[in-house]
Amino acid sequence: MLWTGLSPDEARTYIEQKDKSKRDKRMTMTEAVQTFVKDGDNIGVGGFVNSRQPVAIAHEIIRQGRKDLILSFQSAGLVPDYLLGAMALKPDHLSVQRMEFAYCGHEYAGTSSMLRYMTENEKIFIEDWTNFSMSARFKAGAMGVPFLPIRSGLGGDIEKCNRSQTIQCPFSQRNILLIPACHPDVGILHVQEADIYGNCRIKGQTFTCPEIAMASKNVIVTCDKLIDHEIIAMDPTRTSIPFFAVDAVVELPFGSYPTVCHDIHYYDKIHLEHFKGLTDAFRKGDRDSLAAYYDAYIYGVADTDQFIDKIPYNQLKYARQTESRNLELQTHLTPPIA
Amino acid sequence: MTDYATDYSPGEMIVTAGARQLENNKVIFAGTGLPMVGITLAQLTNGPGIIPVFEAGAVGPTLDRGLPLSVGDSRTTSRANFIQGLNSAFELTQRGFIDIGFIGGAEIDPYGNLNSTMIGNFPENYMKPVVRLPGSGGAGDMSCSCTYTILIVQHELRRFVEKLQYCTSIGHMDGSKDARKKAGLQGKGPKWVITTKALMGFDDETKRMKILATMPGETVESVQAVTGFDLMVDADVYEFAPPSKEEIRLIRDVIDPTQIFCKR
Repeated sequence: MLWTGLSPDEARTYIEQKDKSKRDKRMTMTEAVQTFVKDGDNIGVGGFVNSRQPVAIAHEIIRQGRKDLILSFQSAGLVPDYLLGAMALKPDHLSVQRMEFAYCGHEYAGTSSMLRYMTENEKIFIEDWTNFSMSARFKAGAMGVPFLPIRSGLGGDIEKCNRSQTIQCPFSQRNILLIPACHPDVGILHVQEADIYGNCRIKGQTFTCPEIAMASKNVIVTCDKLIDHEIIAMDPTRTSIPFFAVDAVVELPFGSYPTVCHDIHYYDKIHLEHFKGLTDAFRKGDRDSLAAYYDAYIYGVADTDQFIDKIPYNQLKYARQTESRNLELQTHLTPPIA
Repeated sequence: MTDYATDYSPGEMIVTAGARQLENNKVIFAGTGLPMVGITLAQLTNGPGIIPVFEAGAVGPTLDRGLPLSVGDSRTTSRANFIQGLNSAFELTQRGFIDIGFIGGAEIDPYGNLNSTMIGNFPENYMKPVVRLPGSGGAGDMSCSCTYTILIVQHELRRFVEKLQYCTSIGHMDGSKDARKKAGLQGKGPKWVITTKALMGFDDETKRMKILATMPGETVESVQAVTGFDLMVDADVYEFAPPSKEEIRLIRDVIDPTQIFCKR
């Protein structure tokens, strides 16, 4: 069996010997990526499509450059597009060798041109799953079991192109699909709130962030807001991820911008669609416009502070104002113009 | 006497047809786009008790913050009853809590199997497709475990094909008796296919696609002409009623005023 990332035994051994102390894990983004993201790593990407994607961490990985990465996620949009775009422009600086996923695209904003470019030119190895099978793979990892049985994927082509196996259930005698655990080398997550020890509070849908955190060898978390540990301790039922699963905490307001972060900000549709348009143009032969974007927004800035500095204030403001309010209140807002 | 609209778009017709097929008080797994508009229209008309569930984790919301652009959008959580994540949502489908799932695809075959993965030779060119599509997302799971599915596909000759290039979402498989059950599946598979041209179901015996109704202005012949396989025709085939003026008003003024999904 090919285990991309850690095998269940390796994953277990690593956690057994890991320093699980409750200590201050604040780091700069540069340090966190330098410490925990290596060439060849299987990266578990948090969020869902363009919701709470760990954009800032992806930008830093691109700035530092890594080779032969594996990306594992259920559904994602901007993070794989950013990483694949970086590879398309400078394959000697950053490369992705493999993706294990269910959906790569942007829903309302269309398909991923970077996925199309990479696959149609046979530049990466692909393994298709479904949203549930990928989610259950992280869950199996989080549970410390080598596989889980699920009732999806039986009888179609997806099971023919991945490592799942159909068996007859020894109890019910019916067919069932077994999916192998996924233990990423590093989980990259953005959450709304965390304390200095790494206890995380996720608001709204958790997607598969808790499962990725518990299944991964190491975990980097960015948070919109660092909160007092006392606040966590007062209401621990609201903790989505416990501190000892987390290795680096980076306080980074707008760390998932321009994707939506529940209760903090809505999408910046202007920025998202601008980048998406450049990837579409790249696939049709315009390399320079996409390269100019990377030079301006990723390579040309030192960090996320400088990236956010380049976003017009009225776009940031509108993204904040359109989040968590009813339509009636939204009608009083003036949308920014691209 | 219903006052029918005379001016409506193909998208608005699909949404109306989808909404009218939904029974009140059922739990519906909602995808992005037209299904979301259809579910909301049903809630405002024939199905005030319809319960939407979104695969990224939100159960039973009321979409009063505007149409979500994604099934993981924060707007899907507005006034929700329960929120977890993807595992929780798909466990609901396996457990039997989801009555109907809406799914789509780039290709559909006579048995309601769908392709949303790739165009090209499979398995030979899996790693180098002619066109790579986004992939299953949750559609493959919904096709297996929702009690029924409703399929929404653009009605074009190149999409309605006898044989798929890749089977992402499982319909009635090869149409053989108990094929789904033998494969290990629990859900009953596709119940309806809704397109801009027709409302279709599946024959009880052969499980092949069958025209139940033609959309306004279409005929059995015009529907067959854009279908790449032979359609069966129900003995009681009828013309589907166009959207009413009230349905169009709700879509345009209340549900999708900025035309995110429903173009006019």
